[in-house]
Amino acid sequence: MTTTPLLVPPPPLIHLTGVTKTLKGQDEPRTILAGVDLTVRAGDSVAILGRSGSGKSTLLSLIGLFDRPDGGQYLLGGRDITRIPERKAAALRSAEFGFVFQRFFLLKHLTAAQNVAMALVNGQGWLPRRKRKAKVLAALDRVGIGHLAKHKPPRLSGGEQQRVAIARALVREPRILLADEPTGALDTETGNLVVEVLRQATEVGCGLVLVTHDHDHAAKMGRVLHLSDGLLRPAGQRVIA
Amino acid sequence: MIRLSGRLRASLIIGGQGIRARKLRTFLSMVSLFLGVLAVVVVQAGAEIANRAMLADVELYQGKDGTRQMYVPPEGQAVPVALEVLEGRTDAVAMTTSRAIIGEPGVKPINEGGGPIDQVGDYTGPRMTCDQSGCYPVQDANSGAPSGQAVELQLVGLTGDVRQFRPFRPSQGRWLDFGGEPSLAPRLVLNEQAAKAFTRYHVPAEMRVDGATANPTPQIIGVVDDGGYQPAAYVRADELMNWMPVAELGDSSSGGGLQVLMTPTAVEVEHVLRARLVAAGTPEEQIHVNTVETLKRMSTELALMRWIFLGMAALVLLIGVAGILNVGLATVGERIEEFALRRAVGTPRLLLAGIVLAETLLTGLLTAALAIGAGVVGLQLAMTVFGSRFPALEGTAFPWQAGVAGVIAGLVAGVLGGLVPALRAARIPISTVMRA
Ligand SMILES: Nc1ncnc2c1ncn2[C@@H]1O[C@H](COP(=O)(O)OP(=O)(O)O)[C@@H](O)[C@H]1O
Ligand SMILES: [Mg+2]
Repeated sequence: MTTTPLLVPPPPLIHLTGVTKTLKGQDEPRTILAGVDLTVRAGDSVAILGRSGSGKSTLLSLIGLFDRPDGGQYLLGGRDITRIPERKAAALRSAEFGFVFQRFFLLKHLTAAQNVAMALVNGQGWLPRRKRKAKVLAALDRVGIGHLAKHKPPRLSGGEQQRVAIARALVREPRILLADEPTGALDTETGNLVVEVLRQATEVGCGLVLVTHDHDHAAKMGRVLHLSDGLLRPAGQRVIA
Repeated sequence: MIRLSGRLRASLIIGGQGIRARKLRTFLSMVSLFLGVLAVVVVQAGAEIANRAMLADVELYQGKDGTRQMYVPPEGQAVPVALEVLEGRTDAVAMTTSRAIIGEPGVKPINEGGGPIDQVGDYTGPRMTCDQSGCYPVQDANSGAPSGQAVELQLVGLTGDVRQFRPFRPSQGRWLDFGGEPSLAPRLVLNEQAAKAFTRYHVPAEMRVDGATANPTPQIIGVVDDGGYQPAAYVRADELMNWMPVAELGDSSSGGGLQVLMTPTAVEVEHVLRARLVAAGTPEEQIHVNTVETLKRMSTELALMRWIFLGMAALVLLIGVAGILNVGLATVGERIEEFALRRAVGTPRLLLAGIVLAETLLTGLLTAALAIGAGVVGLQLAMTVFGSRFPALEGTAFPWQAGVAGVIAGLVAGVLGGLVPALRAARIPISTVMRA
């Protein structure tokens, strides 16, 4: 145990050291992550670039506790969660993380508000109706589509749908936002808007990890990293397109 | 507790959303399940109604379950003593039995022996008595008399209203009124058999009672269904005793003695009656009391039948379960992304399984509600069509047991049909959302 002197900054939100992951391919197992180090503090925004198939999604799935690393260590807010059991992982996913994916994964039969409310279901059950409604509306307002709360996804544009998905990620007020190519299915203008909404979350202390192919979007983040050969390296100071 | 109910609520609400999103599928799985649940409901309702009908018929002549029966032997002073003890009581009623012939004076009854009027000529005949030298007709008032318009019946004297023990069904006129002074013209209530005899043979009224001092003119005031197969008439015991000495009641050749029916709580009467009878010289061991336990006696046979039918209903139900299971598995296949996403945003596996299970449970319950509704309506229809043919079933309400059975069948089907899909849903890896 290290004794932490006063005036030392709090432990980082995410601290990965030497994280490895091997996935069973069709034939032989493939090492996707070969010792990844990553530190994300409150208010940090990190872009991760890399070829398709380089393991970016795999890395996010480890950070977001969808899966566990084979080796290395994962500290979340200073707490070792490398081998956390599934039940506790579900609680952490609900309490600490917000997820945005390339596809929006909205349920067609539910309204925008109901889709957002879905993220409020966890091991405790559900918040009372009134509290739920207030939180959902606040989240929708935060991404600028409070007026679309009663609309169902088929009636929304791609950008609006992705913003519903972001509201779903924000509704629990997570400490960490994980976004896996969130602009991949959007036109440039809408994509810029979505990245801006995500970046704004870091202004209130959220940590953001954005996986993207778009160098312009990456450039808006505080740090840009490159994943290749299973390792995460700085992509040079302020990569130019 | 709060956590559990919160999860339960979440499962039900989300499950309900799922059902609304897939109305056609839900409907299809309900169709196959409906017949299964309906089968269970019908079997249970049928068994329950048959049970009640059987019991209702048995009650008419055996007495309601729980009724205490005491037989008072005719010897000595037993009968007068018993009648005295029971006078004016409402929780215990004594029944005397005598043979009576009502009709044209001085003729043989058409049903000599008191048999059913429909079977006249089959086995009725003069009463026989047997000794060492053989059997020969009893010599009585009828011997040698010409046959004529008269009916022989069993005349039952009552010290009080017997219907609390044997719920005779009124069919015409009034029942006996046990209040007020006894009438000199004995008021009779006939059973259906006796009434049938009197409508077929228009007999003038004179009543010959074995042991009576004179032949009174009876007034027939009503008809009841007492479940009996032989002609009988009910009369106030005190009106009967205007015409015959008490001693004759005990000595009558058609039975003799008294039958006393008591409520289960009439312990005091039973006690007093027993003490008085013993004091009057009746040997203790000749006083038998037993309790009517028809249901208990019949229940083993009925239960067997019910289980056989329920077994068949369960098979039909199983087909319905297969239907739910089929639809459920197909649905889970289509909803892989939804379930992966739900897990990604923090819904635990158990709750996810609960959501899927809630959908099939709600479907099962909805189906059960419809099947029970169909059962209720069906019973109502059957009652209006066939009700008049089965008087025992009149006013039969839908048995709650059938409702309970239907709900249980719906729940069981929901659990069986939803468990496998629920487990599958809980096992979907979360990273599915990243590979899409
Ligand atoms: N479940 C899996 N089993 C085996 N290999 C997988 C699995 N999922 C992904 N992969 C492989 O792992 C590699 C990394 O995938 P991924 O993390 O999705 O890359 P990226 O997101 O950078 O495109 C790819 O080569 C992919 O084919
Ligand atoms: Mg990817």
